[in-house]
Formats: sequence, C-alpha cells, structure tokens
Amino acid sequence: MRFFGRDDLSADLQPLRKIRLFSTLTARELKVVLALRHERHYLAGEIVFDEGDEGQAIYAIADGEVEILRNDGERTQRLALLGPGEIFGELALLDQAPRAAQARAGSDCRLVVFFRADFMGLLETHPKTASKIALSLARHLGARLRQANTGARQDGHL
Amino acid sequence: MTPRPAHRGAGPLAWCAILLVTTLALYLFQHVLWLVLPFLFGLIAYYCLYPVMQRLVFAGFSQTQATNLTVGVFALLLCIATALMLPRFAAQVVGIQDTGQRYLQGGLTLLDDTLRALESRSRLMRDAHVADTVSAHIAEAGDRFAREELPERVLGLAAWMPSFLLGPFLAYFFLRDGARFQRYLARAVPNAFFERTLHLLYEVDRTTRAYFQGLIKLTVIDATFLAFGLWLIGLSSPLTLGVLTAVLAWVPYIGSILGCAVVVMVAATDFPGTPAIAYGAVGLFVLVRLLDDFIFMPMTIGRSLKMHPLVTVLMIFLGGAVAGVAGLLLALPLLGVVMVIGETVSRVASDPRLRARHAHARALLQAAVTRDLV
Repeated sequence: MRFFGRDDLSADLQPLRKIRLFSTLTARELKVVLALRHERHYLAGEIVFDEGDEGQAIYAIADGEVEILRNDGERTQRLALLGPGEIFGELALLDQAPRAAQARAGSDCRLVVFFRADFMGLLETHPKTASKIALSLARHLGARLRQANTGARQDGHL
Repeated sequence: MTPRPAHRGAGPLAWCAILLVTTLALYLFQHVLWLVLPFLFGLIAYYCLYPVMQRLVFAGFSQTQATNLTVGVFALLLCIATALMLPRFAAQVVGIQDTGQRYLQGGLTLLDDTLRALESRSRLMRDAHVADTVSAHIAEAGDRFAREELPERVLGLAAWMPSFLLGPFLAYFFLRDGARFQRYLARAVPNAFFERTLHLLYEVDRTTRAYFQGLIKLTVIDATFLAFGLWLIGLSSPLTLGVLTAVLAWVPYIGSILGCAVVVMVAATDFPGTPAIAYGAVGLFVLVRLLDDFIFMPMTIGRSLKMHPLVTVLMIFLGGAVAGVAGLLLALPLLGVVMVIGETVSRVASDPRLRARHAHARALLQAAVTRDLV
C-alpha cells in the first residue's frame, strides 16, 4: 500500500548513490539515509538559501546546477558552479553558523536535503553509517581547504 | 550579506491569536473527547516507546520490524495487565457506590473532628457554628455526588474503555509512519520557507518528546515515593493510591488537591479516630510536592514548554472554564502545540526576505509555465 507516498526504493536510491557524501555507503545504509532525506525542486534563478541564514541542513545536487554567490555590497561574485553529485551548505551539518554565501539554482534542479537534527539522530541509531558520512564530509572539507590554500598561494597571500 | 530583520518571538497580536485558537480548540475537543484522549494517550505511548524502538533499530532491526516488535510487546503487556485487573475492577464497580460513600463518610468524620477541635479552642468559630454548617453543606453535596454522579461517572469511564484501545493503535502508526508523515507534510511547505519551518518542526518534536518522556518519569518517581510513604504510614493499597495520585497530578493544581483528598479520605476511613495518620498523609503529600517542584521536575520536565507562568495559569483557568476537567488536562499540551505553530507562522510569514524569495519563486514559476503562451 502506498501511504503518504511510500518510497520507490530502487528509483529513489539511484540519485543518492551519485552523491559524494553517500558514495561509501552500502545499499542497506543508503536505505536508512533515504528515510531521512527530503527532496526539493528548484527553478533556475530560485534562491536555495541566503548568505547569513541560519544553516540547518546540507544540500546535495541530484540533478541540475547550483551557483554559490557572494555579494560584497557592490557586486555579486560567483564563487562556484556545482553539478550533480556535489554538496553545498555542508558546514550546517557541524554547527549553526550563518551561511557564508548565497546558493541559487543555476538551472532547474532537484536537491536532496539532509537536516542536522536527522544526522544527530543517525549518530545515535546508526553510528557506523553516520561515521562514514562524517568521514566523507571531513575529506570534502579537507579538499576544500587544500583548494583554498592553493588559490591563496597563487594569489601570493601565502 | 542580505539585510535581515532580527529574530523576534510572537508579538502581542500573535499571542492573542494563540490563546484564542487554544480556547476554541478546547471547546471543540470536549465534544470529541472519545477521540482526543486516546490520541493524547497514543502520543504519550509513542514518546515512551520511541527510545525502545530506536534501540532495536540500533541493534539492526529495520524501522518496521522494530515498530512491530515494540508495539507487539507493549500490546501484549497491556492485554495481560487488563486481563489481571478487569475482574478486580468489575468487582469494585458493583460496590462503587458503597465504597465511595464509606470513604466520603470517613473524610467527613475527620473534617468534623478537626473543626470541632478548632471550635473548642476558638470562641469565634464556636459562636459561628462552623463545624455544623460546613459539615452539613459538605455532607449534602458529597452524598449527592456519591449517590447520583459517582456511579454514572465510573460507568461512563468503563464505556470509554474501547476507545482507549485506539491509543496503542495510534502509537503504532506514529512510530511506523511518523517520519514519513513529517516528510509528506514538508512537501507542502514552499521552498523559501522550507528550511526554517522544518527546523522549527524538529524543535517541536524534540520539545514535545522531552515533555512527555519527562512527564512519565515524573509520574513513576512520584508514584514510587508516594507508595513508599503511604506504605510506611500503614495505609491499605499504597501502590494503587500512589499511582492514582501521581496520574491525577497530570491535571494541574486541581489534580494534586483531588489526589491529596482521596488519600486523606482513605486514611480517615482505614484509621477512624486516629487523625494523626491522615495528617501524616497530608504531610507526605506536601513533602512530595516540594520534592517535585525543587528536585524531580527540574530533573525530568524542566522548562521544556518554555511558557510564562502567567500565561500557563491563565490558560489552565480558561481551559477549566471552557471544557471542565478535560480542559484542565489538555490546556497545557494544546497550548504548547498551538504556541509553537503560532510562533512558527508568525516568524516565518513576517520575515520580509522570505516573503520576497517566495514571491520571486512564484514569478519564476509563472514565467516558466507561460513561456510558450506569449
């Protein structure tokens, strides 16, 4: 019986498999994550979150593109253009700090949303799965840090 | 950074709306109590069983397996308890009128003795014939209640029993489909308000869980302390009385007074002519209430509802005036839910940036669906 839109497992697992944050999870672990994730559709140009918003969730791109923008008061600078499988707003999984930049749909897109409260619950009920996600997140943040260092070196700041 | 207004709580208008909606809901709920009370018990059972289910999930069971197992064992225990209690309850119901009148008489005798002892020391009271007047009034009202209302209420409660079976049934679906239902509801929230609204819903869930789990812990602690104290004093059925009075305390203010009155009546009936036992029971009650206020309640419920005491008291009186005892029982949980929904709507809908983002999204959708119509 389809009750409250019961999940079609095989179809719903596919986009999750493509997301880097969940790439190390087994099919069984993905099912656990599937029960916690939300799915949202955004039109090109629609704002996902604003700079300064209180971050409560991490976003992963299932389809489409998302621009990460920062406004310095005079002009808006594009920091990144992210595609399918990539994640953004990842610091929200760690703390409640304000969003560092604005995220805006670069094209019509489908996003998978994972709330910090659910991640905390996952740490309690499925610590192994949560550890794998946390490790992937740490790797992702490490890569971002290396990227930033390289950029700073090239700009002569380091 | 986009300029944002500072976060504020609900304003006075929102608070008036919250109180009005709660009062209206209480008025409506008293007409469908057969559904509201099982729903409340289902919710309490859900929050109590939730940690057990989570432990099973942690042990490797799927959500559905864990729910089936948890609710199955709970229902089995409930059936065993009902099978054991029902014959005893049925036997008590037959003699409920006599029992009620006996305990009432015991309580009245104690009151009369106490007032006469006071009269012997106070001329003013003696001249006013306080003992005779008070005893006559209470005896008349109590006798009418025991003769006319008590059997009717007990039989009414028995007639309600089948609807209470809805409680475990509802708890099962809350456990199994709660998260899915939450996601289903979340789909109705527009993108602009999604993250803020969902965060507040998580907060509601966390607060409600803390409140109900705390309430159950507090009831167990209260029942244990009272039962132990009553056993020390030497009263009959201390465990039953402890559990009854701890559950009665769920009804704010009046529940505690009623619980104390029941214990005093039992003490006065079991030990006629020994008022020290009844005073000891009152002393025990006061002690447990003090322990509740200063130690147990901060440890269990804490300030989970985060309401101003004035609002709490006002709402309890309003609930009592609008929906009687059911209103007293439901006033605070209902106010908690309406308050969070009201504050969420007030905060989210009054944020100009979020409204602007929503308008922008609607404009984008309008442009997308009319692109080929121009």
